[in-house]
This record gives sequence, structure tokens and C-alpha cells, in this order.
Amino acid sequence: MDVFADLWMGLSVAISPINLVYLLIGAMVGMIVGVIPGFGPSAGLAILLPVTFGMDPIGAVMMLAAIYYGAMYGGTITSILLNTPGESATVASTFDGYPLAQKGRAGPALVMQAVASFTGGTVGVILITVLAPAFSHVARNFGPPEYFLLALLGMLTLIVMIGENWKLGVLSALIGFALGTVGVDLETGQSRYTFGSAELIGGIHFIPIAIGLFGLGELYFAFYQGLHRIGSGSIAQYDRKKGFWPDMADWVDTKFTLVRGSILGFVVGVIPGAGATIASLMAYSFERSFSKRPKNFGKGEMAGLVAPEAANNAASSGAMIPLLTLGIPGSASTAVLLAAFLLWGMRPGPLFMTQNPEFAWGLIASMYLGNMALLALNIFAIPLFVQIIRVPYRILAPIVLVICTLGTFSVSSSMIEVYLMFTAGIVGFFMRLYGFSPAALVLGLVLGPLAEEALRQTLTISRGSFWIFLERNGSIGIIVTTAVLLLVLPLMQRIGRRAGALKQATVSEVEDAGV
Amino acid sequence: MKVISTLVGTGLRGTGLAAGCVLGLIAGSQALAQDYPSKDLDWTIAFGPGGGNDIMARTLIDIIQKYDLYGQDIRAENRAGGSGAVGWGYVYSKAGSGYDITTTSGSLITTPLQADTPWKASDFVPLALLATDDLAIMVSGNSEWDTIEEFIESAKEKPPTLAGTGTVNVDFIVPTLFAEKAGFEFEYVSFNSMADMQTALLSGAVDAMVGNPGEIVGLVESGDMKALIYSGETTPPALGDVPTMDEKGWGVGVSMPRGLILAPDAPQEAVDFWRATVEKIVETPEWDKYIETNLLTENIKYGDDFATFLKNAQDGFEKVLRAQGAIK
Repeated sequence: MDVFADLWMGLSVAISPINLVYLLIGAMVGMIVGVIPGFGPSAGLAILLPVTFGMDPIGAVMMLAAIYYGAMYGGTITSILLNTPGESATVASTFDGYPLAQKGRAGPALVMQAVASFTGGTVGVILITVLAPAFSHVARNFGPPEYFLLALLGMLTLIVMIGENWKLGVLSALIGFALGTVGVDLETGQSRYTFGSAELIGGIHFIPIAIGLFGLGELYFAFYQGLHRIGSGSIAQYDRKKGFWPDMADWVDTKFTLVRGSILGFVVGVIPGAGATIASLMAYSFERSFSKRPKNFGKGEMAGLVAPEAANNAASSGAMIPLLTLGIPGSASTAVLLAAFLLWGMRPGPLFMTQNPEFAWGLIASMYLGNMALLALNIFAIPLFVQIIRVPYRILAPIVLVICTLGTFSVSSSMIEVYLMFTAGIVGFFMRLYGFSPAALVLGLVLGPLAEEALRQTLTISRGSFWIFLERNGSIGIIVTTAVLLLVLPLMQRIGRRAGALKQATVSEVEDAGV
Repeated sequence: MKVISTLVGTGLRGTGLAAGCVLGLIAGSQALAQDYPSKDLDWTIAFGPGGGNDIMARTLIDIIQKYDLYGQDIRAENRAGGSGAVGWGYVYSKAGSGYDITTTSGSLITTPLQADTPWKASDFVPLALLATDDLAIMVSGNSEWDTIEEFIESAKEKPPTLAGTGTVNVDFIVPTLFAEKAGFEFEYVSFNSMADMQTALLSGAVDAMVGNPGEIVGLVESGDMKALIYSGETTPPALGDVPTMDEKGWGVGVSMPRGLILAPDAPQEAVDFWRATVEKIVETPEWDKYIETNLLTENIKYGDDFATFLKNAQDGFEKVLRAQGAIK
């Protein structure tokens, strides 16, 4: 019961009026930062960090943390409406979110994403509250061998993402792996394919690539189809009165998706370095395996939007665990939070929560409040955001182009990243035209370097022996989990499909009657 | 005089470098000391907000403004990108200006070694080294080694694995030079971030790691990690009773320089002004607090001494990296 006493104490700290104002400011900034493509939470946090000089640390951390998880709410809005991920963790939300908008279901999609984000965020905070000490051991068991296995597990999701034309899908993933080799080789320090450019030393970041492939690629494709010549409301039909709230089927279909996505996202988020992006991609492909209608994924299936949304929010909560219990940041955003802790004169580490209970529990309690505030903000803002798709495409498209460019440039003031984004846009257009898989390319770019580095580290440590994967408890755990998933999932899928086929008739009857 | 310095400023932006240098020299010799500063200061931070470089720059600016040491406005700009190449490249393009200042880190030396930057560390006017970021060799709390001697003894039998952040970095250079002097070998495992490295050590995947005290002190206090030796001049008390490499006679003389530099060919009046100003800054309690909270080693060297320090560090880097094959 200690936990609840701590949480209650935290709540009493968090709930002072001035702290609530900071929390609301943070939530709003987070939403906005999330909406602007390219401009992720880590950039938003970093820019607001100097503002917190001289602020009371509890109010300051409540604000910064709200920016961090608020961005996960905002990032999906453009994913759904414009096929442009607001930030990296919402790439997976474009897969079914945008088709939903195209089908005229932008309203329900936005409401469901807000609900999924809220569920993920709240489940995440509950798990932090109850399990923080236990989960710090998970983070503690992760060395290079485990990261490599995790990256392999992530690559399994490629199989799902590659789609019907597997040759083009594999080729797409390989292009992603190839792009991932650019930059300084971590082990030898030699530059690979940087052509003497200082801006490429750090490698090709996947944010400009994702914005280009998905956002600009979509834009060019729309022009190719001649959308700019048609009047308003042409990307998606949207009827405010009829189509705003999700219908019963949306809720019923996704009730377990919410739970699965949240738990998976949290577990992946706890592992430092894996983060919300991988969590959301994994949640998407697992959900597809669980689904009774895997064929509908990518064509506007609500579960395909809800799963990654719940996962990325739960993961952003999960990433607080290594930060609070070990002082180890799990992502770029939590690294900025760590810098903030140091700036305020605190010493993150295993003793952090016992030495600063008011601060730590105030932060955790504020996350409950923040998620509620964000849910309300989202629901109120949706009618506004939905207006975006009523703007004629010939006006909307240039605005999106400018925002994408500004967003990409602002992250690291690098023109090379802007050029990369535009090139990726052209590539994305042709990939769409010829049936390649931009998602597989992005996943290759994310997982390729992770897998390469982890494998080389592992083999340096083991001096070339692969047995190391069977000598560590963490590794064995992951191998067993993977094996179980590989065996059980196809089985469940088969059973699910058979049940689905039976159910299909009844569902369509219900739909006919309902509408 | 004000007119002249403004002219120099605009001339520089418009015309080429050579003309700027000449004008700068003329302006420098003509100007009287009290004319500086007469313009706003453009403070380039070559990294993003929140990093060590940014925190130091903003701390210095806070101190300067609190004690009104500059007299004009100071504009701080984060010009991040390319491991410092963007920000320092910007300052380099302001040759001859006395109003373009920036803070240094290890990348001032390593980035030109890795990429075709038009500038190198010795192009800038060195004002003062203020502190160094030093490293400790760490092992897990339940490790069999309690002292550096035990570590070295066992390393001579079987080379341990030692983790650090990146290869073209002090994290690799310092233990390499140290091992050379102490007479042992190790297998270096390069990581992308401090976080991955810490979990690798805690999970028992690697035998040891190097890290900045500021980032690991929490894990030392909780007993999850032990520090064996420290590369700076004096070990921060928070790390415990740990010897330095110098004390043991295995000093490496390379560390990450945290100092101040001006644009190339900055006028003498600016250099004199900043030397006097730095002397005042390091006497303030705020500066002491910064050194203490960030667990840095205060190490103040002015002008040519700072230049020599940079040169030594650069030679150490080049030697090790060439041997490793990281640079040609």
C-alpha cells in the first residue's frame, strides 16, 4: 500500500494551481510540437529547456514531461489526415489512419486515436506506479546480445509489412538497410559514404526520410492523380453530423486491441533504446496477426490505428522507468529530461526516487492528470483539425510542403536533411506508383544500424562466438518469446480466421441494421 | 570608432576573408581598449540545447549578465549540426570579428579529423580553457576488482572488454593511452550512447566502461558501479577515494576541453577584454556551483597555454586514431 501513499503525496504536490498551469502549457505545446511534421518531442523539449532555468523543478518537469507524452497525441493527427507522420513514433499510424480518412471516417479515426492514446498513456502510468522497481530489472538485463535479438524480432514485423509483392518489399527493406550504413562506423571510427560531409557523420536520420516517403510521396501522388484540379473536400468525404463519433463496431472491435497495444508498448518502452517507434511498428504487425480480418489492414481497419497509438503512448510512459529508477535515458526525449534533472542539481540513479520522492511521485501523479487533459484537449480540437481536409488541395498541398520543409530544417538546421526529404519524396512517389513498400524501407533504416551495431558489439564481447546468445538469461528469454510467438501466432490466426468467417455474416447484418 | 567597427562588420559579411583580415588588423590597432564592447555579442553554441556545451555556454552568459560584465546585449544561438561543424564553421566565417564567441568541446578537435571542414581548432583565437571533462574507468558494483591494480593484473592475463561512447572520442583515446602506459591490453566495445553502455555494464555484458562522473555518480552512490581510476587532476569527492592516473604515474594528458574561443584574427582589444572578463567569471560563486554540480575539473589556462593544451590533445587524438586506422 506504500505505492498509494506515495502516489497520494505526489498528487498533493502536483495539484497546486501554478503546477497545473505548467502542465496545461506543456500538454498544449506537446500537441503542437507533435502536429508539426519533423518537429519531434525531443526538439520541442530541448528548445523549451532553457525556459525552465530558475523555475521550480516540480512544475518544470511536469511541463517538460507533458510536452513529451503530449507529442504522441498530436503526432497522429497529420498521420491520419495527410499521411504525414508528425513524428517518428506515429509512422505506423499512417498505415490505417490515412485510409480511414480517405473513406470519410476521419472523425472516428481521430476520436479513436485520442482514446487509444489516453488508454496507452494511462495504462503506462499505472504500470509505472505499480511495477517501477520490478521493471528496472528488465532494463538492467539488456546488453548488446539482447538488443540484437530485439532488432531481429523487430525485423519479423517486416514480413507483415512487406505486403503482397514480396520481391519489391524485400528490395525496399534492403534500400533501407543500405541507407542505414551511412555515417561513421561505430567500431572503427571510419566514415562510410559521408563524402567528407560533416553533416553525414551522424548518418541518415530517419525522420526526414519518413516525412519524404510518406508525406511528400503522398502529395506528389495526389498531384499525379489530378486532385489539385478538383474543388474542396476531395481527399476525403466528411460529414460532420453523421460521421464524427465512432460507431459501436469501432469500440467492440478494438477493446482488446487497446489492452494488447498498451501492454506491448509499455514493455518495449521500458527497454532503453527501443522506444516508441519500434513499439508502435511491432504493435501494428502483432495486431494484424491477431486480427480476424488481416486482409483489411492497410485499407482502413480501426484496429490498425488503435494498436500503434496505444503502444506509442504506453512506450513513452515505459521509457520513464529506466530514467527514474536507473538514471538511464531510453530515448532522445528522455535524454533531454535527464539533462534537465542534472541542470536542476539532481542526481539521477538508482537512489533517485528515494532521495527525491516528492519530485519523482509528483511527476508520476502529474502524468495521470496530463493524460486526462490531453484527452479533453484532443476531443475538443478534433472538429477544428478535421477542417484541414476541407481545404482545397491546391491550397493545402503547398502549405504542407512548407511545414514539412520548415519542420525538417528546424530539427538540426541541416540543408542536407531537407534535400534528403525532397529526394525521399520523389522516391516515395515512384515507390507508390510501382508497388514498393515505403514502410519496409523505413523499418530497414531504423533496425539495420541497430542490428549491425549490436551484433558487432556482441561478437567483440564474445570474441566471435555465437554461443553468447545462449549464455545470458535475457537472451534466452527473448529467444523463447520469439519462438512462442512464431508458433502460436499463425495458429491463432488460423483459428481467428475460421471464427471470423463464421462471424462475418452476423457482423454485416448488424451493420446493415445499424446504419 | 563605432563607425569603423560597424564598417568592419558589414565589410566582412560582404567581401572575402582576406580583405576582412586586413581591415580587422587595422581596426584592431587603431581602436582604443575602452571601445570594446560597443556592439551586441553573437554567442554561437555549436550543439543543441540541453547538452554539456549548451549548459556551459548558458551558465557563462547568466553569470556575465548577472554581474553586468559585458555592457551590451548577448545573443545566444544554437547553431547545431554536423558534430559542431555548422556552429564553428559559422564562427570561422566571421574572421576578424571581435563579437563572435563560442564554447569548445572535444569535437572542436575530432570533427576536423573526420570530415573536410574548412577550419581546424588552431584557426580560432584561444581565449581561455575553463574546465575539463574527465573520465573514470568504471566496473560493475559486484565485480571482483576493487582497485585499478587488481584490474590491471587480471587484464595482463586476459584482456577485458571495455565500453565507451564512439571511437573518434576521448572515450577511446584516454583508455588506449592509459593502457599503453600501464602495460595492459583491452578489447574496446564502442557504443552509441551512454544509456546503452550503462545497461551493458550492469547486465554483465562488458567488464568495464569509461564515463563522465556527472553521468554515473548516481550509480556509484547506490553501489551499482565502482570507479577504479580517474583521468583528471583531482577526483571529484562523490566518486569516493579513487586515485588519478597522474598519481599512479600513468597520466595521459588528454581530456575534453571546455573553453572559450573567438573568431579567427579577432582584434587584440577583444582578446584583452575577454581575458579580464574570464578572470572575473571564475571568481563568482555561480561558477563554483556549476563546476560542482556538473562534476567537472576546473582547469584554467589563458591564451597560449590554452593553445598548447589544444595542440597536445590534438596530437594525442591523431596518434591513436591513426594507429587504429580511423583516420588517414
